[in-house]
Amino acid sequence: MNAATLIPVPDTIPVGWGWFHILLTLTFFLHLLAMNIMLGTIIIAFVQSLCPGDSYLPVNGQIAKKLPYTVALAVNLGVAPLLFAQVIFGHFLYVSSVLMAVFWLSIVALLIIAYYSAYIFRYRYTTMQAGRTFFTGLTMLSLLAIGFFLSNNMTMMLHPRSWTRYFQHPDGLLLNFSDPTLIPRYLHMVVSAIAFGGLAIALWYTYQKSRGQAGSSRWIKYGCTWFAGASIANFGLGFWFFGVLPQGVIVPSTLIGGLFSLFLIGGIICGALSIIQALRYQPLQTLWYALATILLMVFMRDLLRVAYLKPWFSLSDLHVESSWSPFLVFVISFVAGLGLVGWMLKTTYIGIHDKEVRS
Amino acid sequence: MNYPVWNLDIFGGGLLIALIAVFHVYISHFAVGGGLFLVLTELKGYREDNPAIIEYVRKHAKFFLLVTMVAGSMTGVGIWFTIALLNPSATSTLIHYYVFGWATEWVFFLLEIISLFIYAYTFGRLGRKTHLLMGWIYFGSAWMSLFIINGIIDLMLTPGNWVQNHNFWTGFFNPTFWPALFFRTFLALMIAGLFGLLTSTRLKDKTLRHRMVRHCALYLLIPFFLLLASAWWYKSALPPELRTMMFQSMPELKPFITGFIYLSALLMAGGLLMAVRIPKYLGLTAAVVLLIIGQLYMGCFEFMREGGRRPYIIRNYMYSNSIRTADLASVQKQGVLKAAKWVREKKVTKDNLLQSGHDLYNLLCLPCHSIGGPLNDITKVTKNFTPWGLANMIETIDRFHPYMPPFPGNRLEARALGAYIASNLNGRFDSEQPVPIPALTKPELPPFNPDKDSYVLLSWTDMGMQAMTDASNQWMILPPGVNLHAMLIKRGESPEIITDDVRITYAIDPAFGKPAAQIPFWQNSKQLFGKKLADNTGLSGNGLTGTMQSGDDDFHADLLPVVPYPSDGGYMPYPSMTITATDVKGTVLARTKTVVPTATEMGCNRCHGGLWRVDGRAGIATATAGNILKVHDRLSGTSLSKQAAAGKPVLCQKCHADSRFGEKGDGKQLNMSASIHGFHANFLASRGADACTACHPAGELGASRAFRGIHHSLDLNCTNCHGSLADHAISLLKAEVKAGKKRAKTLMQHLKPEMAATAKEIKPRQPWINEPDCLNCHKDFEQPDDDTTFNQWTAGKDDLFRNRTDEAGLVPCSACHNSMHALYPATNPYGKDLDNRQPLQYQKKPLPMGANKGCAVCHTKVMDEELHHPNMLREFRNQ
Repeated sequence: MNAATLIPVPDTIPVGWGWFHILLTLTFFLHLLAMNIMLGTIIIAFVQSLCPGDSYLPVNGQIAKKLPYTVALAVNLGVAPLLFAQVIFGHFLYVSSVLMAVFWLSIVALLIIAYYSAYIFRYRYTTMQAGRTFFTGLTMLSLLAIGFFLSNNMTMMLHPRSWTRYFQHPDGLLLNFSDPTLIPRYLHMVVSAIAFGGLAIALWYTYQKSRGQAGSSRWIKYGCTWFAGASIANFGLGFWFFGVLPQGVIVPSTLIGGLFSLFLIGGIICGALSIIQALRYQPLQTLWYALATILLMVFMRDLLRVAYLKPWFSLSDLHVESSWSPFLVFVISFVAGLGLVGWMLKTTYIGIHDKEVRS
Repeated sequence: MNYPVWNLDIFGGGLLIALIAVFHVYISHFAVGGGLFLVLTELKGYREDNPAIIEYVRKHAKFFLLVTMVAGSMTGVGIWFTIALLNPSATSTLIHYYVFGWATEWVFFLLEIISLFIYAYTFGRLGRKTHLLMGWIYFGSAWMSLFIINGIIDLMLTPGNWVQNHNFWTGFFNPTFWPALFFRTFLALMIAGLFGLLTSTRLKDKTLRHRMVRHCALYLLIPFFLLLASAWWYKSALPPELRTMMFQSMPELKPFITGFIYLSALLMAGGLLMAVRIPKYLGLTAAVVLLIIGQLYMGCFEFMREGGRRPYIIRNYMYSNSIRTADLASVQKQGVLKAAKWVREKKVTKDNLLQSGHDLYNLLCLPCHSIGGPLNDITKVTKNFTPWGLANMIETIDRFHPYMPPFPGNRLEARALGAYIASNLNGRFDSEQPVPIPALTKPELPPFNPDKDSYVLLSWTDMGMQAMTDASNQWMILPPGVNLHAMLIKRGESPEIITDDVRITYAIDPAFGKPAAQIPFWQNSKQLFGKKLADNTGLSGNGLTGTMQSGDDDFHADLLPVVPYPSDGGYMPYPSMTITATDVKGTVLARTKTVVPTATEMGCNRCHGGLWRVDGRAGIATATAGNILKVHDRLSGTSLSKQAAAGKPVLCQKCHADSRFGEKGDGKQLNMSASIHGFHANFLASRGADACTACHPAGELGASRAFRGIHHSLDLNCTNCHGSLADHAISLLKAEVKAGKKRAKTLMQHLKPEMAATAKEIKPRQPWINEPDCLNCHKDFEQPDDDTTFNQWTAGKDDLFRNRTDEAGLVPCSACHNSMHALYPATNPYGKDLDNRQPLQYQKKPLPMGANKGCAVCHTKVMDEELHHPNMLREFRNQ
């Protein structure tokens, strides 16, 4: 069977595909940050809860307190890139979603489990003992499973040839194990999250240190160490991922290949610099290099998707049925919404701070 | 068509979306109304300077956050995931056209999260004004989410001109946008009250509890009246055809409409009860019960809205099976399999029938039906059909089921789909082999000596193909009733028809003499016809043996209760009747035999469930008869099933006039023939004679094969004389349209004439009066030039073959040619010459009486005058 005949006809889009590409990249970058903090910190909390002693209690307490926020933000910020991805890659994404429907839909249940488990972790943190390990483990495993299913979907959509398996297994139980990039890609993301989780801890205690909280330095080093260790490991995973990419997907002589190579080199340099800064226990400097690394990785991921789909589809194939006014309404809402978020956070910070000072 | 289909089997039928959506919608409305409840209750606390109320709000806010932020938000994402899996095409449409609507809603979702976290965790940590402001921002964001989603959801129900112009704002501010927005806002406030009752009834302080419970009850009661007003507005804003469908044509929605009305009253009563004082031990229970009622209330509303959208997923734009209305014609032209991307075979063949049927099921049925699941189980709704019946229903599914999309495939695809569902899922099959008929010995011929015998006794029945229904415990269309005729001719140079001083008696084959033991007609005769009939006696008082009444020229015995079930079991639709003529002294003058045909082979069970009642070949089983009443009740709003169950079987002619039996009906409904043919033609049209033999006992494979006369041997079929079922139905319906019956127009709207260019060309006719005339083809009794005679009807009853006589006005046509459908020479499946006994008895050949210049049967001299009809003195053409 010719896999090309299976690819659905895409729907028209209301504005040029470039806008969606920009929005997808931007919102995916934001989602990645929130997701990295959420997953990274819960993995660290879980690993720590397995260690003897109770020295980790303060940091796990902080993670417990913040986890519901990061889960909420990671989910919310995940909605937008998935929406924009569906607009320009929907005819691939919907197919792969149906092929792995059972796993894809289980994400919702896993998310609810992870979220409630995170709340239990938060509200019962001080009172439970063994439960801490259980609930951090439950949240972590649920989130890891979600990530794994996402990786499966995002890779399966790139391989129309693998879609023919549907005719033998139309029950929504397909995964993309035949793709050699699946595991390194997934691990690359997870380990990146661990690194960022460590960095988030270091940054939080940097802020605490600035407010004069004693003992913060220890946790800054702690977070930086997690970041550096995970990032070093991630170099290996990154090369593994790169090494198993099918030949011909990235051709350096093409525009996509050239850009990919450029971003790869930039990413390696920024990644290396972030590790150096982390080893120097400089969270803020680490942050800037880490952000740059993540941004470059987002670009690379996007180029890779375009390259994979090239034999089947080009974004310029999408037909535009112009409708600008809803776009403008969105842009205004987005800008105003972000402004309002900033105002609320600032007002709350000042309000609480003032009240604490007065009391 | 564009996307693969997730094979869900028992989880299909919208179960997943129903489970997640009803739950989510409830919580998401709570998330809106609850926001206002929080800030207003907090304000109340400040206004009354009551820290206990503030503390209550703080705890309720935490509960609110846990319910709405986790379960509410995540199930919202879940709905998105689910619809994308169940109907990727529709999801893709909504995403692509409304991406910036969704994106804007996402911004408000972000604002909801941030503001709610701040609000819930900063009680006492922020200034009152700032804290309240955060609450107002939350409520505003939540309501804006509702505003946006409401626009997109209602677009799916009432897209208005969006279908034509695809303009974002036209679709968004669609005809039901505003009423739906108000409706949902008030509903959201009521749900906030319900959740408020849940937390306030748990308060320990008695005074505070009473106060807060009453406060919450007001959230339930005050918006309630506004909700009812907006519901009325919402209903009025629906396009009229949609309103009719939802509230009149969809019995499936009735439980939800009724539920909504009753639950409204319950919620109102519950709110009042809570507003009055209720003891603590009852309070929480009552709150939980009310919360569950609220969930059911929401469910009823959502099921109504979702149901109203059928057969579309996006009304007037895309059907539930993902086929866009604009693409339907092209899909129908090329076939579903060819148009679909995700199928194994592109064309139905004999070898892949079931596999293709399965693929078609996935594409067309699975979006709304489960296989054995709790929602819309396909096996339940199709259990009554055989593959053939179901294929016919599938092809025309939208005609009487406005909530079903038109079938987008071709006939072969309908057959494959019908075969897959009926055979593979339901284990029902059509018989493809001829029903084995027991071989009878050569029929016994009464003696006749042409040299000695002075009399010729001829006998025949009104109809050669006669049916009766044997489901009289439940209903009756055709009572047992064969009209028997006889004519005694005294042979001579100028033969004489004898009616005086003779007695003609008839006696049925003893095996058929006690029909009351075979069918429940006699138990029900009083209820059906208003008079109790003695067992084995027909409607005119005649039994199965007796004396025939003398008419002007012949003898007759009407409505003889012949049934096709011999006493030793089985089915035999051609019982024999012995007719004897005696003089006043009792001396036998002549004796003959004729068949009294009566069939019960009506194939209702191919579409109405059950199996054959008798011997696997004939009769209407209880299950079949029951389903027919159920379908009638469902489609016509009657309660015939109840009536039958109460021991009062239904006589169809009570409402539907039937000139054959002289029944006038109720004057409002279509006459019996127009009704039954007009309705069924909608499913069976364009199937040639197969459509006729689905119900009439003339199928080539059936147990009766009652079309057995010379025309059958010449390979003619029902349609040659009667037209196709569609033509036949149109002719009957047109007469009813003329009579001012609206239903006739409805039944006609989908019928396409087959033997006429337009329906206009078809002449209206009355059943049993305006029928095909033999002389249309046999002009001047000559060999016909044509073999079809549709649309030329007899002018009146007297012109019917069964009532007509020869040109001399003496001998009925049937006396010499036998009754219609069994014209000599006939070939009876139960014995080749069973119908031909009289010609064989009198002239040793199975041809019409007097054929091949055989005038000597009656005339004792050579005849050279064509007395009976022109062109009779010649050799029979088709020997």
